[in-house]
Amino acid sequence: MKKLRVTIEGKAYEVLVEFLDQETTATAPTPAAAPSAPRPAASVTPAAAVPAPVAPPPAAPKAGAGAVVSPLAGKLVSIDVKVGQSVQEGAQVATIEAMKMNTYIYAPKSGRVVEVLANPGDAVEEGAALMRLE
Amino acid sequence: MAISTTLLNELSGRRQTALAAGGEDKLKARAEKGLMNARERLVALFQPNTFMEWGMHADHDCHDFGLEGKSFPGDGVVTGVGYVDGRPMAAFSHDFTVGGGALGRIHSKKICDLMDYAMKAGMPVLGINDSGGARIQEGDESLSGYGQVFFRNVLASGVIPQISIIAGPCAGGAAYSPALTDFIIMTKKNANMFICGPDVIKAATGETVTMEQIGSAAAHASVSGNIHFVAEDDRHALEIARKLFSFLPSNNIMDPPHRPTPSLDLSPDPGMNDLVPADGKTPFDIHAVIQRLVDGGDFLEVQMDWAKNLVVGFARIQGIVCGIVANQPMVKAGTLDIDSSDKGARFIRFCNVFNIPVVTLVDIPGFMPGMAQERGGIIRHGAKMLFAYASCTVPKLTVILRKAYGGAYLAMCSADMRADVVYAWPTAEIAVMGAEGAVKVLYKKEIAAAKDPKAKEAEYVAEYRAKFASPYAAARKGMITDIIEPSQTRANLAMALRNTLSKRETRPPKKHGNIPL
Repeated sequence: MKKLRVTIEGKAYEVLVEFLDQETTATAPTPAAAPSAPRPAASVTPAAAVPAPVAPPPAAPKAGAGAVVSPLAGKLVSIDVKVGQSVQEGAQVATIEAMKMNTYIYAPKSGRVVEVLANPGDAVEEGAALMRLE
Repeated sequence: MAISTTLLNELSGRRQTALAAGGEDKLKARAEKGLMNARERLVALFQPNTFMEWGMHADHDCHDFGLEGKSFPGDGVVTGVGYVDGRPMAAFSHDFTVGGGALGRIHSKKICDLMDYAMKAGMPVLGINDSGGARIQEGDESLSGYGQVFFRNVLASGVIPQISIIAGPCAGGAAYSPALTDFIIMTKKNANMFICGPDVIKAATGETVTMEQIGSAAAHASVSGNIHFVAEDDRHALEIARKLFSFLPSNNIMDPPHRPTPSLDLSPDPGMNDLVPADGKTPFDIHAVIQRLVDGGDFLEVQMDWAKNLVVGFARIQGIVCGIVANQPMVKAGTLDIDSSDKGARFIRFCNVFNIPVVTLVDIPGFMPGMAQERGGIIRHGAKMLFAYASCTVPKLTVILRKAYGGAYLAMCSADMRADVVYAWPTAEIAVMGAEGAVKVLYKKEIAAAKDPKAKEAEYVAEYRAKFASPYAAARKGMITDIIEPSQTRANLAMALRNTLSKRETRPPKKHGNIPL
């Protein structure tokens, strides 16, 4: 654990950073600019409704194009597809356990799994990319 | 002796002028775009030949900025009364072909007169919004016109149901009239609603946004939560409005249109038993439960695309209209968060003012944890659910399907919130928190001191589970009316709904409570 002070738009925030991988104790990853301004209108990302308060998000893999993101924070139970596999939109691709309940993650679009970004047992944050689809 | 034909001809001529609205070209252009015009919308809303128009001969009385000498037939709004499924309804419809449907003094007066009438007569008001906004030429008269409408929206709130359709532009202050009504239906195309449009936002803050992002039906249905239903087009919007009204009373002193079945069917529904997963961690779609519970699977879901962890909507159970509020374990584990609390509380309060019994289906592990929730004010928002249920005096029937943990269970209408009946399935778990969390608090020292803390913890968890992972502990203390097989749920609710229709509950007199907003 390391205590850091991060200043965003003139406001200072104290954050605790945990280095999950002690081998690479480089600098703490720069927090992605907090509430990325406009969200896509028809987005079904459940988090979309609440603008995230200004706080540095944890070191989660940044969601990019084709990313399948976790709708909530929890423990990754399983990745239900393999790299290279083609999935249809709406197919179950992962399972996350949070609040004593399994939440199934479904493919937001059809495509081929090009990369899996988290392992079963990992604690994942809301918005963390679990895998990437092509 | 008969009335002079000259007079009749004049009337007929004046009617023709009014019905021509903004002129043939404008009406034709709209039709080509696939849009209905203001009058067509009202005629299509009501039963054939029942629409009686009011104020057809109204015109603006503005003498400035080139409006003197110009005529605005009906002053840009069509108002009147008609019948929907045999019940009267008042409605107004902005006429975009007349001065862009902009609101001036007479336009506002027509809407206000209609609302006053509807309030006195006890019939709902439907407003079809398709307007360029304030009529700038009329200045403060136009501003005051909005104020007059807003005031009446508030006056009518809780007296008569108010439904808004957004079928065109609805910008700036104009958006606050629909916002004050009970339900908003918005068409997918041609409609947008916003306070500050992309140009104003760009000029004021430099932020670049698109209309799709801030003002579309999709944005309001899934992100902002400002609207309740999305319609494919004008006709679909009217269909939704009629469907919605089929569950609502005309006013707050009438009962909703119950259609009690002549005899009560108390036979079990074995299919409901099959729906419940054996493993408590496996989510199931609460829609499947609701489908089996309600008459003909006919469930009108409200705000189906927003805060999906809570499902709310209207249905009938053996003919009795009820509002259903249910946790959805498929989304965010069925937790209550900021948005779902707002959604639930507003729906419950609507049911209460219009005498609609509330059926609550509980499968909740708690309030949503997290920084965004805490800092966003989940305390204040979650409190709305408690406030709404506790202050609600209509019949309140609760069924605990599975988890009922902590304060979140109280916020789902526990017996303490004066639920009239609380049924629990054998899978129900009523506890202050889940087993894992509880033993960490209860046996912190013992676990730390144990040789094998993991094993000790598991032992305590099993012990706690055995005690509380069933509804019997709570039932023993009288916190539950009965424990029932899932297959009995529809029969028991049907019976309880009928029994509680005559419910009377008085509360201490006061102006109104102070709900945490």
